[in-house]
Amino acid sequence: MTTIAQAEAAAHAERSARRATLGSRASRGVVLAILLLGALAFLVPFYVSLCMALKTQSELATTSMWAWPQQPTLENFRLLLTHPTISFPLLLKNTTFITIVGTVGVLFSSSVVAYAFARMEFAGKDRLFIVMLSTMMLPGIVTMIPSYVMFAKIHWVDTFLPLTVPSFFGGGAFNIFLLRQFYLGIPRELDEAAFLDGASHWTIFRRIVLPLSGPALATVGIFTFIGSWRDFMGPLLYLNDPDKQTLEVGLRSYQAMNGEKWHMLMAGSVLLSIPLLVIFFLGQRWIVKGITMTGGK
Amino acid sequence: MLNRLTRAILLAGLALLASLALAEPIQLRFVCWDGDEDMVGIFAAARSFEKAHPNIKVRVESVVANYQEKLLSQYAAGIAPDVAMMDPGNFQKFARRNAILPLNPFFKDTPSFRLSDYYPEIVEPHSLKGQLYVLPRDIAPCGLIYYNKSAFDEAGIPYPNGTWTWDFKERPELKEKDFLWIVRKLQKAGADGRMDRWGYSPGWKDLWTQQVFMSLGGRFADSDESPTKLMYDDPRMIRAYQFTADLSLKDHLMPSDTDIGKLQTNARQMFTQKKVAMFQSGIWEVPQIRKELVPGRPGYFDWDICMAPAYKDGKKVFPTGGSGYCIMSSTAHPHEAWLLTQWMAGEPGMTQLAKTGRAQPAIRHLAQSEPWIPGPNTPPEQQVPHNRIVTDQCVPFVRFGPRSPEWPEASGVAVTAISRIYDGSSTAEEILKAGNRRGQDRLDYLLKQQDLKPFDWRIGGTVGLLLLALLGAWIYAPELKIRRTKRQKRESRLAYLFVLPWLIGLIVFTAGPMILSLLMSFADWDIVQAARWRGMGNYVEAVAVDPRFWVSLKVTLLYTVIAVPLGLASSLALALLLNTKVRGMALWRTCYYIPSLASGVAASLIWKRLFMPDGGLINLLIYGPSGHGNILGLATALKPWADADGHVNWLGNESTAMPALAIMSIWGAGGGMMILLAGLQGVPQYLYEAATLDGASPWRRFRTVTIPMISPTLFFCLITGVIGSFQVFTQSLLMTDGGPNDATLFYMYHLYRDSFISLRMGYASALAWILFALVMVFTALQFRMSRWVHYEGATR
Repeated sequence: MTTIAQAEAAAHAERSARRATLGSRASRGVVLAILLLGALAFLVPFYVSLCMALKTQSELATTSMWAWPQQPTLENFRLLLTHPTISFPLLLKNTTFITIVGTVGVLFSSSVVAYAFARMEFAGKDRLFIVMLSTMMLPGIVTMIPSYVMFAKIHWVDTFLPLTVPSFFGGGAFNIFLLRQFYLGIPRELDEAAFLDGASHWTIFRRIVLPLSGPALATVGIFTFIGSWRDFMGPLLYLNDPDKQTLEVGLRSYQAMNGEKWHMLMAGSVLLSIPLLVIFFLGQRWIVKGITMTGGK
Repeated sequence: MLNRLTRAILLAGLALLASLALAEPIQLRFVCWDGDEDMVGIFAAARSFEKAHPNIKVRVESVVANYQEKLLSQYAAGIAPDVAMMDPGNFQKFARRNAILPLNPFFKDTPSFRLSDYYPEIVEPHSLKGQLYVLPRDIAPCGLIYYNKSAFDEAGIPYPNGTWTWDFKERPELKEKDFLWIVRKLQKAGADGRMDRWGYSPGWKDLWTQQVFMSLGGRFADSDESPTKLMYDDPRMIRAYQFTADLSLKDHLMPSDTDIGKLQTNARQMFTQKKVAMFQSGIWEVPQIRKELVPGRPGYFDWDICMAPAYKDGKKVFPTGGSGYCIMSSTAHPHEAWLLTQWMAGEPGMTQLAKTGRAQPAIRHLAQSEPWIPGPNTPPEQQVPHNRIVTDQCVPFVRFGPRSPEWPEASGVAVTAISRIYDGSSTAEEILKAGNRRGQDRLDYLLKQQDLKPFDWRIGGTVGLLLLALLGAWIYAPELKIRRTKRQKRESRLAYLFVLPWLIGLIVFTAGPMILSLLMSFADWDIVQAARWRGMGNYVEAVAVDPRFWVSLKVTLLYTVIAVPLGLASSLALALLLNTKVRGMALWRTCYYIPSLASGVAASLIWKRLFMPDGGLINLLIYGPSGHGNILGLATALKPWADADGHVNWLGNESTAMPALAIMSIWGAGGGMMILLAGLQGVPQYLYEAATLDGASPWRRFRTVTIPMISPTLFFCLITGVIGSFQVFTQSLLMTDGGPNDATLFYMYHLYRDSFISLRMGYASALAWILFALVMVFTALQFRMSRWVHYEGATR
């Protein structure tokens, strides 16, 4: 009896497995086709900006925006790097410093704060969580002047401090909320077992929750890096000294009134995207199925 | 002995300190909105100033975007620059509040200074109540016609010399003295009836309209300095708008809105691409044209400039631009700041700037000689345009528009719907009469001098602290009722250690500004002057008076309803696709994330081009390369929204502009994709295996395994998506300017204009807190309905 049932079950499993492979081969083709079409659509804006960045101004004016440049030129990039009034290496140094310090601060502080909101019980937790979310809901325009005045009073204007220090204090409601959602998805069995072994919250955070949150931390890290690298209003407001400016602000010089230079603006945009592409490419490798959660049950 | 020695040393030390203090140079900060090449001339002028005044050091700062925001923030914080760039449209809001110094008292400081050297036409718009506040630097009359000489040769018409006239109809009997006759002669139609080359295009549509009605003697308002009455319903104004619309829609003498305007290629590029034989603008186009038309390169043609035509009675008035430098009243060194101002806007500074060829000096004799006017020493490539002296001849005919701080908002309300005149869907009379009424109501409201008491900061501060205390009580009070075990208490204390960084950040960096903005929402605050108490006035104004409040709210709600589900669905689809085992995964993910990497300005520019009615990618996909196709039946489906050419003008059409921006937001799905991808990594494989063994179909597995397991991240995307879409505004700022006819006037954009353009920060704060309350309600509702969210690690 049992053997027949087992054999039947085995045969059924084999059939469905075969169906699955056949199906998956066909579906893989469909997936690939959709991916390709979608990727083409998503690459169009980048293609256009690359075309514009590689054209001289006269070619830009006389050819279709879709056309690949007849003689692709790196002249625009050369002009960017050797601009008479904008020191590219200096701006690169400033931008890199602000971005890296800011990203480290956000990763460190948001991951810790999110742990408390996800894994611990404390007085006023739910209402504090509401307060935290609410900080995302008020448009920054109306808090801009008070914040600026405050930073001016403590003489932080024209230094990197307003752009870096706040990230160590919470890292932003967006990131805390994001990490909290991830932590809540990690089964409790792991920490409960660790608790029985006498582990503290700090140990559980470092040994269990953090290692299991690689994909989420990578996401937060990538977002923060890109956001800070691309930030315009922050550096524009808080930095006055031309030698302290960041790249995003410095390269906007081409957007000046009376004669925007779109080819230069595009070259700047493309140039600034290159480090971000590298960061993304490296960072997204963390978002892969690892050993996560399999130990749960 | 010792005593004397000590005294001597002390004295010597003091003398040394004093001499050091004397030698310590005075530091001045100079801020302008120029950038790029123009800065070379400005830097050079600043260095020559330092050489002439060895005890003064100048730091030049260039702020090419968000200039007003930065200057106002600095002024509010008491760290404004000493000298700042300013223009007629903006200086009044500073001058009326004594934030900048009147310059007349300084004139005697510099014996060589003569105000009469400057064009009076640019001195007057920079003055208020008889005092000059901004020392003019440049003037930019928009009465220049750039013309293609070979087009004139082809048509057998002599080159224009500026003695032509226009009339409301063509006057063939006047031949080359009639502007419209020439425009018609220069046109070249293609085989398909579409225009290969237009005769004339204004640099922007309103330029022609304004020139027409000002030449007829019409005005925008009863006074340019302090307008109290809008005059958009003046018959001359109505006639001018209708004339412009008819010129393109009926007479086909000017490209229609589909062909021109800031949404598409600009008039200068149409000129250099030979799609228009003449275009009208200011002198600033020259350096670009020189780069686009290089002698010897293919496509080159000879060109020059001349003065735009007068009305048949000989009257002509041109719109103009211009700017100058002002001294902030907070400066510690007014005298030195004046020296710098006078240097930079004077002969030394303006000679440098004239070399770039972009800014016509406001000093008359500089605008009449080299390097501004080509001469024997001018390099050959800068000889064109030869007829540059016309810039000087234009000046007596320029007129600045009204420039009071209330003007932009009032006139903005009045002309909201003018796109309807230009596209022919309404007559000028209907639109302008209704618009003028609405604009006048707004102006009356803004001008009403309210007798307001100063904001009492002692009460304000107390209320602020009280609010903080109330918040604390709301958070903590319910806890008092709960009895906790010792272990729970220990955990609670430990948890506070975990959230401490955030709590400190909240109290130090976030809470103060938030509470201040809440207090200001009950005040009348223009950033520059002290706030005045307005009670509930701002909130009442928003709900009951401001016509744009409800419009912008509706636009934003509609956008949220379209864009959030669209974005969430595409993010989820992408994440699922990219979570399969496909080769080259990293590359695919990067492709989909690239649009999220671009800077806002660059992306907006590209998207404007993608949405172009002719030659844009979107319409290429719908109508095919021929422009007459019907791919997938889309052209038929979109018929109701198509314009005269049969194409959809996505950003120029009231019904499609907002949906177009919503569709565009799909390209930002890369961010949501990343979050959901990270969420998908947390779904254990064995759950799928178990479900497969139970015979669950893929759809069922998706419904019962995938969705519940990633519901926490989906929920996150939903909440932050709604919060974000309520605050959307860069697209409308950079791509549509809120138009057409307020179709993309997002709530945040409205708020932004009130805060930094109209300087009504108190009112903007009230708008912000209304938004805050709305978003709070929406978020709370979503949390209420969040039973579908499954937390694997929730406390049980």
